[in-house]
Amino acid sequence: MGGYGDVKLLRDDGLRLDGRKVDEMREVQVEAGILPAADGSAWVKHGLNVAVCAVYGPMEAHPRKIQRQDRAVIDVRYNMAPFSTSDRIRPGFNRRSREISKVTAEALESVVLVERYPRSKIRVEIEILAAEAGTRCVGITAAAVALADAGIPMRDMIVGVASGKIEDTVVLDLDKAEDNYGQADLPMGILPTTGEIAFLQMDGDLSVEEYNTCMEYNMKAAKEIHVLMIDALKRRYAEKNGGES
Amino acid sequence: MVELVPSLLRQELAALADKDQRIDGRGRWESRDIKLETNCLYNAEGSAKVTWGDTIIYAGVKFEIRTPWPDRPAEGSLMCGAELRPVAGRKYEPGPPSPQSIELGRVVDRGIRESGCIDMDSLCIIPGEKVLGVMIDIHVLSDKGNIFDACALGAIAALRTAIVPAERFDIGEDYPLAVSMTPTMCSFTRVGGRYVLDANEEEELGGDERIHITLGDEGHLHSLQKGLKGTFTPAEFDEILGVAQQRCAELANLVNSKEE
Repeated sequence: MGGYGDVKLLRDDGLRLDGRKVDEMREVQVEAGILPAADGSAWVKHGLNVAVCAVYGPMEAHPRKIQRQDRAVIDVRYNMAPFSTSDRIRPGFNRRSREISKVTAEALESVVLVERYPRSKIRVEIEILAAEAGTRCVGITAAAVALADAGIPMRDMIVGVASGKIEDTVVLDLDKAEDNYGQADLPMGILPTTGEIAFLQMDGDLSVEEYNTCMEYNMKAAKEIHVLMIDALKRRYAEKNGGES
Repeated sequence: MVELVPSLLRQELAALADKDQRIDGRGRWESRDIKLETNCLYNAEGSAKVTWGDTIIYAGVKFEIRTPWPDRPAEGSLMCGAELRPVAGRKYEPGPPSPQSIELGRVVDRGIRESGCIDMDSLCIIPGEKVLGVMIDIHVLSDKGNIFDACALGAIAALRTAIVPAERFDIGEDYPLAVSMTPTMCSFTRVGGRYVLDANEEEELGGDERIHITLGDEGHLHSLQKGLKGTFTPAEFDEILGVAQQRCAELANLVNSKEE
């Protein structure tokens, strides 16, 4: 969080620079089953962010030392394509992508019924093709849809959403300028049916009241995105069954 | 991951070849359907998505300002790289770039570079000090066979729609990158003893060596590559080159039709 006070992010009419209200999300589109090579896949466009996720498995876990006797391991790779940002990114992992991969894997392990597949591995490949703030959340949403598309049993879906603070005002779903010049960012992975939280990060400065507002916005947004995720999966199944859902 | 090449698949492919048939019912020189979309990636200065049968790739172009090579002070540079990340299929593992992905990137790179479609002198801003570097990155998302042709098509299509972000670099107004030609690639794989165009995943798994031919305008050859174990005769090459002449012209027309 830069927290530069001199960048104006709210207009005089109280709307944000792109015309959104404080509690308004960017447009979200979801498609399931878009990669023929994968066991399950998803494409999510969230604002200008584009994430694609492929799921492979459950498959044999190797090397053997990663195997768990009582459950499957979830192997997540979050990767940004070299052309996904305004300055080209050198291909390969960095500290940021490793950390995001790790916490995303742990969030997914909390919803997937991993105990059904002892000693196996489920590969989750998240590729960010275009980035405009909030890619880790879009990746989580895509991963959940891809896992469901692969037919992997889960106790709930998981939805990636974020709220934050700009010009001392809490707003839902920060865009690039708001992320760069805002005061706080609170990304979460929410289980939409139970309201539990499986993914949480935050940086910046929030009062307890502001945190509570962020939380309220995130819960509302998660429910909205959840509807789109379920729709995408229903369309996918209608396709598989020759048009009948 | 070890690829288990079932001898049954090889036998089946050979039996089909004897009847001049292919496993998915195509003719010997028939390609799968191709869908090309351009300008489809926000943040890339030029981009393309290629859906080639069930194979899906994205290509994105980025520019950078760099200092020129000492021996070529008035020339910019071009780099084309391909990533075969684990997203592309079950057989791909994480790790440093594999020999396959390096070969893929380099073969596509040579076809574009050697065609001369980018005038390196035009990428010079201040001789000896500042030149433009053009980077094409190819991302394979779904490998269901013949990623070479899909990547080459995506790379040239992304390049042909690229806009140099001159304003961001403080060197004047944005302008389209000058690309004077449309080199395209045609790949042939030996399946059941004879060459076929555009092998699918099963044909690659149960096939032998492959030949990649990149042709530019007027059918000139700009890059050739033979990959995997096997040999071919000059007569066989003459035959596939004839097919490539026709096919590459069709692919170039497809790319050119995407430009206004």
